Amino acid sequence: MAEANPRLRVMRLAICAMAAAAVVAACGCRVNRPRNDHAATQTLYDAMVSDPGTFNPVLVTDSASAVATGDMFESLTRVNPRTTLFEPGLAESWEFSDGDKTLTFHLRHDVKWSDGAPFTARDVLFTMRVIYDPKIPNSMVSSMTIDGKPIAASAPDDYTVVVRLPRPFAPILSSMQFAILPAHALAGAYEAGRFNRIWGIDTPPDRLIGLGAFLMTRYVPAQLIAYRRNPDYWMRDEHGGPLPRLKGEVHLIVPDQNAQYLQFQSGMTDVYHPRPEEVWPLEQAAKRLNIVVRKVGIDTGSLFFAFNRNPRHYVRGGVVDPRLKWFTDVNFMRALAHAVDKQGMIDLCYRGLAVPAISDVSPENKIYHNPNLKDYDYNLKEAAQILDRAGYRMIRPGVRGDPQGHPLVFRLTTNTGVPVRDQMCAIFKQDLQKLGITVNYRPLDFITLVKALDSSFDWDCVLIGFTGTIEPNDASDFLRSSGNLHIWDPAQPKPATPWEAQIDHLMDEGTMVVDPYQRAPYYWRIQQILHDQLPIIETVRSVTYVAYRNTLENYYPTVWGLYRPEWIEFRAR
Amino acid sequence: MLRFLARRILIMIPLIIGITFISFAAMSLIPGNFVANLALDPRISPQVLKQMEAEFGLDQPLMLRYVRWLWGIAHLRLGVSLAYRVDVIHLIGPRVLNTVILALSSMILTWLLAAPIGIIVAVRQNSMLDRALSFLSFLGMSVPAFFLAFLAIDFALWSGWFPVGQTMSPDYASMDFWSRIADRADHLILPTLVLGLAGVASLMRLMRSQILEIKNADYVRTARAKGLPESTVLYKHVLRNALNPFVTMAGYGLADLLGGAALVESVMNLQGLGLLLLNAVMKRDVPLVMGSVLMGTVLLLVGNLLADMALVAVDPRVNFTTLETQ
Repeated sequence: MAEANPRLRVMRLAICAMAAAAVVAACGCRVNRPRNDHAATQTLYDAMVSDPGTFNPVLVTDSASAVATGDMFESLTRVNPRTTLFEPGLAESWEFSDGDKTLTFHLRHDVKWSDGAPFTARDVLFTMRVIYDPKIPNSMVSSMTIDGKPIAASAPDDYTVVVRLPRPFAPILSSMQFAILPAHALAGAYEAGRFNRIWGIDTPPDRLIGLGAFLMTRYVPAQLIAYRRNPDYWMRDEHGGPLPRLKGEVHLIVPDQNAQYLQFQSGMTDVYHPRPEEVWPLEQAAKRLNIVVRKVGIDTGSLFFAFNRNPRHYVRGGVVDPRLKWFTDVNFMRALAHAVDKQGMIDLCYRGLAVPAISDVSPENKIYHNPNLKDYDYNLKEAAQILDRAGYRMIRPGVRGDPQGHPLVFRLTTNTGVPVRDQMCAIFKQDLQKLGITVNYRPLDFITLVKALDSSFDWDCVLIGFTGTIEPNDASDFLRSSGNLHIWDPAQPKPATPWEAQIDHLMDEGTMVVDPYQRAPYYWRIQQILHDQLPIIETVRSVTYVAYRNTLENYYPTVWGLYRPEWIEFRAR
Repeated sequence: MLRFLARRILIMIPLIIGITFISFAAMSLIPGNFVANLALDPRISPQVLKQMEAEFGLDQPLMLRYVRWLWGIAHLRLGVSLAYRVDVIHLIGPRVLNTVILALSSMILTWLLAAPIGIIVAVRQNSMLDRALSFLSFLGMSVPAFFLAFLAIDFALWSGWFPVGQTMSPDYASMDFWSRIADRADHLILPTLVLGLAGVASLMRLMRSQILEIKNADYVRTARAKGLPESTVLYKHVLRNALNPFVTMAGYGLADLLGGAALVESVMNLQGLGLLLLNAVMKRDVPLVMGSVLMGTVLLLVGNLLADMALVAVDPRVNFTTLETQ
C-alpha cells in the first residue's frame, strides 16, 4: 500500500474536474441545440442510402444518382402514377401519324434552363445524339433501339420534334422518357470527347444547368445534397400560382437503415420508408412522434425461384445431368409450385405485410397485370401425389428419386445480406425435405451470384428478384429467349421450347399496338404461359408503407413515385 | 538521426509495393468485376457492359493494370473511382479528415482516463478501488464497441441531449466558424465516448501490469533505498520505463483506428473511411479500394516510425543506434 500522496490527490481531483467538465459540456449542448424547423423553412428532409455516382443524367446507372438528378432534369413525357398513363411533361402534346410510324412532340414554349437559356428542340436532338454515341455507355440506349436500329429524330422548328420509326413501336413513349440535357452548356465538352467526365460529383452545384422543380445548391460527400426551388419552373397550380410549393429539399446520405429509422424518429428527416417490422411500432408511436403512417401499395417487382434449364451447363460430353430433366419436366415443377408456402413466408418474413404473387407482373401495373391467373395453392399432399404420378417415387424413407432412380438433390442459392431471402429459402428447403427432396442451400455475394447466372451457368435453383416497370416491353431481356436476363436459359440462338417461341412472338406483336388497353392481352397471355410452364415460381410481394410528418400536406406516395410532388408543402402553423 | 530516417523511408518503398500488389491481386482474384454490378439491370445491354469494361481498362491483364496504377501513384495520382467517376482523393479526403478527428479525440480520451487510472490501481494494488476498477475494466473489455454505440444512439434518441448520428448538422454550411467548431464537437461527444471508453479498459489493464512489473525492479528498489521521495520514484523511474510499450502502441493505433472504427461509424452514421472501403470492396471499385489501402499502409508505416522516434525521446534505454541494429 502506498501512503497518501499529495500528487496523487491532485491527479484524482483533476480526473473529477474533467468528468464534471464533460457533464457540463453535454448539458450545455442540450440547451443550445438549434432545432432545425423544416416547416418554417418549407424544406423537406429525407434520407438516401448512398452517395450518388454522377450528376450527369445520361451516365446514371444507380438509384442514388437517379434520385440526386431526378428533380433537376425532366423528360418530354411523364407518367401519372395513379393511372399509369402518360401525361405531358416538357412536351405539351404529341400525336401519332403515318400508321403509328411517326410521332410528333410539341414542346412547351415557356421552359427555361437555370442559366436563362430557352429549352428547345435542339436540346432533345443533342441528348439523343449523346445517348446513341457508342463511346458513352448508358442505360437508355437499349430501350431506344428498335430491331437493332436507332430512332431517327428531326426538328422542323425550335418547338417541334418528329420521331420516325421503322415500324409501329408501342414502347416509344416510354423510351422517350430520358432526361433532356442542355445542348448549349454541354455540346462543347461533348465534341471535345470529355462527356464521360462531365458533371461528375466533384462539379460545383451552380455549374449544373437544370430545368426541373429544384436546383442543387450543395453537395457534401457522405453527408447531404441540398436543393432550392427553381423560381422559373414552368409548372403552375390551378390558380396560376408558382410551383413547387416547397422552398427546398435536402437528401441526407444515411447508408444504414437502422440509422435512418432513428433519424426519422428524432425529427431529422420528414419521410421514412419502414421495413415490415417497423410499421407497427411506428403506428403505435404516431401520435407522440406527430407522424402519419400510410400504406403505399404492393411492391412493383417480382421475387421468384428460378430453375436452371440451361443445357450448356447440364450436358457435358454427351451425358445429360438428371437435374435438367427434372427442371424441364412440367409435372416436377408443378409439384414444387404446390410446395411454396407463401402464407408462411408472408407471416414469418414480412410480419403479414405482403401478398402472394401469382404473376411476374405486379397488380400495381393496373393495365398489364393479368388478374385471371389461379395460384398453385400450398398443398404438400397434392405435391406428393403429382410427383408419385410422374414417376418420382420414394426410393428410401425420406428420399425421393426420379424415374431413373437418381435421388432428388439440388442446390439453392440467393444473394447474401438480405435476411428475408434467407428465411424464404429456409422455408422452401424445409417443405421440400418433407417431400423427400434434398436442397443444399448456400447464399452467394451479389457479384459472385451474377457471374454464376450470366457466365458460368453453374447453379440449380436461385431465389432472385427483379424490379418492375410499367412498360411491359422493359422486361424484354427477361422474357425473350434471346435475352441475356432470360435467366433459366439465357441468350438462346433459337427458342428451345414451343412456349418460349410463342412468348417471343407475343413480345413482337405486343410492341405493334399503340393503345395500352388493346396491347394488354398480349402480355396477359405471356403471364399465363409462364404460370403454366413454370420456368420460375413466383413467391410473394411485400406491401410497402411510408411514414411522414403530419404537418406535410399533399403528400401522396404511390409505388410508382409521388403523385404531384410539386404540390407538397408544410402546413403553416 | 538523418541516416536512420533515410534508411527507414527507403525500406518503406518495397513494403508499400508488396502490400499494394497483394491487395491488388486479391481484388482481381475474387470473381466478377465492377461492371458485373450492372449485369442484372435490364436497361443495360451486354454491349454497353463491354464498352464500360474497355473504358475502365478492366479487360486488360492484372500485371498491366497494376503497373499502370503504380505509375499513377508515382505521379501522386490515386486514379479515378469506377463507381463515382471522380479522383479517389476527392472521395477519401473528407472521410479521412472525419476519421482522423474521431480517432484522435477518442485516443486522447482513452489516454487521459487510462493512464491515471492505471497508475492509481497499480499503486493501490489489491485495494477495494483496484478491484472495483478492474471489474469495470473487464466489463468494458467484454462489451463490443458497436454495442456501446447502439446504446449511445438509443440514449441520444431517448434523452434528446445529443444528435442522433452524423458528423455535423445539415445546416453546417451556413454557420460561422465558432458555431461550426461547436457543432462538430457536439456531434463528436458520443462517438468519442464510445470509442474511447472501449479502449480505456484494455489500456488501463496494460498500464497496471507494466507498473506492477517495474515497481519491483532492482533499480526502483535502489531509488527507494537512496531515500528518494515516493513520488519521484514513481514518476521518474517507474513511469518513464513503463511507457515504452504504450508509445509503440500509439503508433500502430493511428492506422488501427482508421479501420477499427468502421463498425461504430456504421452504427452511428459517421462519414468515415470504413463504410466507403467496405462498399468499394463489395462493388469491386478497385481504384477506390487501392487508394484506401495505400492510405492505411502509409499511416501504419509512418505511425510506426513516429512511435520509434518518440521512444528515443521517452525511454532512456533506447537511441537511434539501437533502433537501427534491431
